[in-house]
Amino acid sequence: MIFSELYSAYYNTVAAILCRVLLGDCSEKELQGIVAERAFGESVLTILPSLKSGKWQLLRPDMTTPIVHKPTVPLSTLQKRWLKAISLDPRIRLFGVEMPELSDVEPLFTPSDYYVYDKYGDGDPFEDEEYIRQFRVVLEAIRRGTQIKFEMTTRKGNTMFVRCRPLRLEYSEKDDKFRVITAGWRAASTVNLARMKGCVHYTGEKMPAVTERAEKYDTLTLRVIDERNALERVMLHFAHFEKQAERIDKKTYILKIRYAQDDEPEMVIRILSFGPLVEVIGSEDLRNLVIEKLKKQKSCELK
Amino acid sequence: MSSYSELIKNFERIRAYMREFYVYGFKSREDYSAKSARSYDDERRRMESWLGEHMGFSRTPEGKNVFISIDSRTIRHNPLYNAWKAKSFTDGDITLHFILFDILHEPSVKCTLAQILERIDGEYLSGFDDPMMPDESTVRKKLKEYTEAGLILAEKVGRNVLYSRAEDTDVHDLGEVLHYYSEVAPCGVIGSFILDKEEADTDAFTFKHHYITDAIDSGVLASVFAAMREKRIISVSNLNRRRDTPRRTRIVPLRVLISVQSGRQHLLAYVPEFNHFVSYRIDYLSDVKAEETTPRFDELRDALCEMQSKMWGVGIGRKGTEVLEHVEFTVRVEDGEDHIVRRLEREKRVGKVEKIDEHTYRFAADVYDASEMIPWIRSFICRIEKMNFSNRTLENHFKADLYAMYRMYGVTEEVGE
Repeated sequence: MIFSELYSAYYNTVAAILCRVLLGDCSEKELQGIVAERAFGESVLTILPSLKSGKWQLLRPDMTTPIVHKPTVPLSTLQKRWLKAISLDPRIRLFGVEMPELSDVEPLFTPSDYYVYDKYGDGDPFEDEEYIRQFRVVLEAIRRGTQIKFEMTTRKGNTMFVRCRPLRLEYSEKDDKFRVITAGWRAASTVNLARMKGCVHYTGEKMPAVTERAEKYDTLTLRVIDERNALERVMLHFAHFEKQAERIDKKTYILKIRYAQDDEPEMVIRILSFGPLVEVIGSEDLRNLVIEKLKKQKSCELK
Repeated sequence: MSSYSELIKNFERIRAYMREFYVYGFKSREDYSAKSARSYDDERRRMESWLGEHMGFSRTPEGKNVFISIDSRTIRHNPLYNAWKAKSFTDGDITLHFILFDILHEPSVKCTLAQILERIDGEYLSGFDDPMMPDESTVRKKLKEYTEAGLILAEKVGRNVLYSRAEDTDVHDLGEVLHYYSEVAPCGVIGSFILDKEEADTDAFTFKHHYITDAIDSGVLASVFAAMREKRIISVSNLNRRRDTPRRTRIVPLRVLISVQSGRQHLLAYVPEFNHFVSYRIDYLSDVKAEETTPRFDELRDALCEMQSKMWGVGIGRKGTEVLEHVEFTVRVEDGEDHIVRRLEREKRVGKVEKIDEHTYRFAADVYDASEMIPWIRSFICRIEKMNFSNRTLENHFKADLYAMYRMYGVTEEVGE
């Protein structure tokens, strides 16, 4: 169903090569560049040699092609069914797109066919008109590389006026929220889209070239005892990080995880959720945070 | 001896290797049996070819370990999708593919099989020294395959069948939609296939807490969804972690449950043979075959909906009539810790949160499987004051674990067990 050469990197690469050849006058080096960009690490050993040798009879020895039209393929039923499925998702309204050509297409799935059971209950109001408007302002500014201005209320209740350049939208599936990653703003670099108020394009004075604030990273080291299927649970749970695991003995594993410093409180909570089967052995600071939590827990005198 | 290719015919084997390398990544070559050492080398080389910089290597006393390490927050597109774009094909397949769509270059062009064959011979292959002229049955088979995929339309006119290209769908304005949904929607790899056709890529989105592992289960998931849409029974192979060989099962697929905190996906299904409901790990399922439709689908899904109000995760009542387990705990919330109350509210799922006094909140829930809640309850360690589980064994287990943690971190002196 999904695993088909129709969707393969090779077919797409050959289509791009034929497109370039149809424009006329191209070098082999240029075609190799297309392979390097669109296909896999070792594809250079196969794609051009197969075309040049006549194994795939699409390119003549003089580097012309019998193909006359720019190679294109219509969307398959599977692709249309998937598009129809996402058109039923409430978040699609954020993008303001219509898909009338899919009116007769049966969706691959509908919202009633799946359920995300552990996303947080205070996700963004994706169907709120003002939220949608602000989302589009931010997205357009990202696209154009321009600035926005907005208001937001700080944790202390003060109103803050912000002018910045949005660089991208970061979506968390767990939080079900969009955050705007920005530059050119001293106080912060990330703001929850839902906390912005009155966000509009800023057309005044141009901001000098701005760069994204570099995220600071730390590495934590865990000792994992593989009981009660802990190893699999831990490895899957932390799978979205850059990580490296090592087996120490039959039941003990060491796992190193690289994480953003800003996420330290969240990491502590996530580690605690594994109970005594996961122990922080580095860094010292993170271990102390866990110890602090345990000391506080002890003071609760849970019987 | 067959030569190595970075393309593959069968996805199932690479699926297992990718999981090993991505999720675990501590096995050395020696951990694979001698018989499969060659296969290991080939699969490892393929993954290096597809994933490039995301592959890592380390030396340990046990040998060289290969792993896939990706911080999914820093990438725009799921690199594991590449595996789905590595299907092998024959020289004839690729040649015929481009020629067919060149002949049928727009929907108004309609040709019979004979006309297509004539044009292939006369216009496309004649310039080659050793033309690989496909026979009639090969071209007919390819046209049938493309008709079934919805790429080509076959229209019967008199005794002839006229073939034409299907109408195209305009996706030019969907770059951002495709980028977003190819990462967050089920079977996102299909969106990635569409994105591959587009020249302009967008980098407007990145993703946090983004589990990319489910990419390799997209084939199973798509087949399951397709069966659900048609209200069909499926037969499927299920590899239980306690068994070495998969077991074939007939089930009615009812709903996919996705976790955005553990990286797992489950299929909730009804097993007619035993008249009960079961949740299956999607990554343990393979070889899905659609069978007959079932008139009971709607009734069974309604029953599942009813059960979901008593499920914390995927732990399901087999019959829906089981005794529920009561879970209750109170947490201390100090001044300035309103975020803890917000946490309880947003993470309570099927539970209820109640304010007891200025500094105490109670969470309570009745669920089929209270053990599923333990990891979440542990995340409140530092403020749990009381707990009351109807499953006393589970409550005692929780407390024993807590004492074990005190000991592990050296905070045991004043703690009695």
